[in-house]
Formats: sequence, C-alpha cells, structure tokens
Amino acid sequence: MRGIEPCAPRVEVEWKMQIYMPDGSRAELAVKDGLIEDILKELRINSEEVIVAKNGRIVAEEETAGGSDELKIVRIVHGG
Amino acid sequence: MLSDAERERYSRQIRLFAEEGQERLKKKRVFIAGAGGLGSVISLYMTACGFGRIRIADCDSVDLSNLNRQILHGSLDLGRSKAQSALETLSDINPEVEIEALRERISAESINALVQGCDMIMDALDNFPARYLLNHAALERRIPLFHGAISGFQGQATTILPGRTACLRCIFPRAPPTQKSPALGSTCGIIGSIQVNEAIKFALGRGELLKNRLLLWDGLSSTLEEVSCEKSMSCMECGGD
Repeated sequence: MRGIEPCAPRVEVEWKMQIYMPDGSRAELAVKDGLIEDILKELRINSEEVIVAKNGRIVAEEETAGGSDELKIVRIVHGG
Repeated sequence: MLSDAERERYSRQIRLFAEEGQERLKKKRVFIAGAGGLGSVISLYMTACGFGRIRIADCDSVDLSNLNRQILHGSLDLGRSKAQSALETLSDINPEVEIEALRERISAESINALVQGCDMIMDALDNFPARYLLNHAALERRIPLFHGAISGFQGQATTILPGRTACLRCIFPRAPPTQKSPALGSTCGIIGSIQVNEAIKFALGRGELLKNRLLLWDGLSSTLEEVSCEKSMSCMECGGD
C-alpha cells in the first residue's frame, strides 16, 4: 500500500503594495491589511495634504489597504 | 435669437455645435469665483465663446506679482481693483456678453447674493474654505460646480453635479493647510481651459463630463491621469445624497 505522498510545502507569497508617491516616485510596502492613515504615517506623509486612491478610486483614510493593492498618493493643490 | 454680428463672431464654433448650441450658451448665466490666474483664463474663454451673462467676483487689487499669470490684467491696472480691470477687459473681448464684475470677498455672508440667478459656478479660488462655500451653494441650488486648482506645474479638475456625483467635500473632506503656492500661467491655462470645456459641454448637453473623476495634470511629465471618486455617506456636506 502506498503511503500518502507529502505535498510540496506551501510557500507564503509576500505581496507588496505598489505606492505612487506625490513626487512621482514609487515605493513598495509589505502590509497585509493596514489603515490608510497608518500607511501614510509610515511613509511620513501628512495626511492633511493628500488624498489617496486605492486601485484607482479615492478612499477615506479610515479604509484599509494591503496585499497587492495599488495606492496613489496625490498632493492636493489649492491655488487658483 | 442670434444677431448677424453674433453669427459672424461665433461662426467657427457654430460649425461645431450649430446655432442651437450657440443659443444654449447665450442662455447661460455663469458665476466665476475669482479673477486671478484661473479666473483670467476661465472668464476670457467664457466671454469670448459667448456665454450670455457672466458675473465675476474678486476682492483684491492688481499686484505686480499677479502679472506672470493673471492675463485679465495688465501693467496699467496695477493697484486697480481686479473686478474693474476684469470688467473692462471682458467687455472689450466681447461686448455681446453681459458682464457684471463685483469687488466682493466670497464669504458665508456674500455667497448667496453672488450666485443668485446663476446656472453654474466656476471655481477659480485659491483656498479650500471658500471653495466649500461654493460647494454648499451649488448643492443647495442643484447647479453644477466646475472645480479647478493649481500649484506650480500641477493641477486638478473635476465636475460636480449635485445629487449625481460626489461633492467637493466627498473628494476633499478637509482643507489642506493654507500656504502660498507657486503659480504658473501655463498651468492656469490648462486647468482653466478644462473647466471651460466642461461648462461648454454641460451647456450643450454633449460629451462626457468629469463626473466622479478627478483629473490630475502633471506639467513636469506632461501627463494627465484620473482617479475615480464617489459620493461619501460620511460626507459632512452632502451625506452621500
């Protein structure tokens, strides 16, 4: 009788969020499910000066992001 | 009805949207908030293309540091009220348009009188607290607000249709810190022109408006991007209505 063959060990894939910074540069951050507010803090960005789009849609800083999400951080302009 | 002079003046755009379209523009009454960098571009193009009645308000006087971008005003206007200077320039550009220029600060006290009788609001302001007053007035009257803002090489624009799109507060829940932004005439030209283009499309009922879309201009990379937005149930202004 054949024994059960062991499966290949599961590999945890660590997704990194792609972040488009206000200055046009890119950053990567490994976060599972973090508040946008905390992500901004981690990036040392003043949340009062920006809005954040997650996967192309503007979201409140109380929302969460992580995994393979793509964030675009947009500096609000206010001049006229 | 258009006069013969109007038919001739607008002949190149009548080719685009027929006399019926031109008459639609003529019926519109516009409020332009600000006669600075954006307000210059917006008011010049709206006047030239024949919006019927334009009310423009600004409380400031023309300063030398304005003249790199505020093309409504010239060197001879230094020290004069921007409203008066705007009135003269716009009346000269197109005497067919009824221009009303008011030396008035946009405030909670003045906003109702300023937008009274208008069909649309053009945002040409330089700060968010006053923009929120425009947003409130637009929502209250159910009239569109064409938002634009600039800083240096960057600009943004969107079109707010009360009840149908996110309002300004849904997109920008709080005002960014006040600071004097760098300002470039070419950026004002791009963003102000986009705002006017939106207002023309709205008046004609043609094309796709920037509904629930925030357009972002980066003049350094010469790219236009957009991000989508939606009504927010937690919006302190519209509550997602």
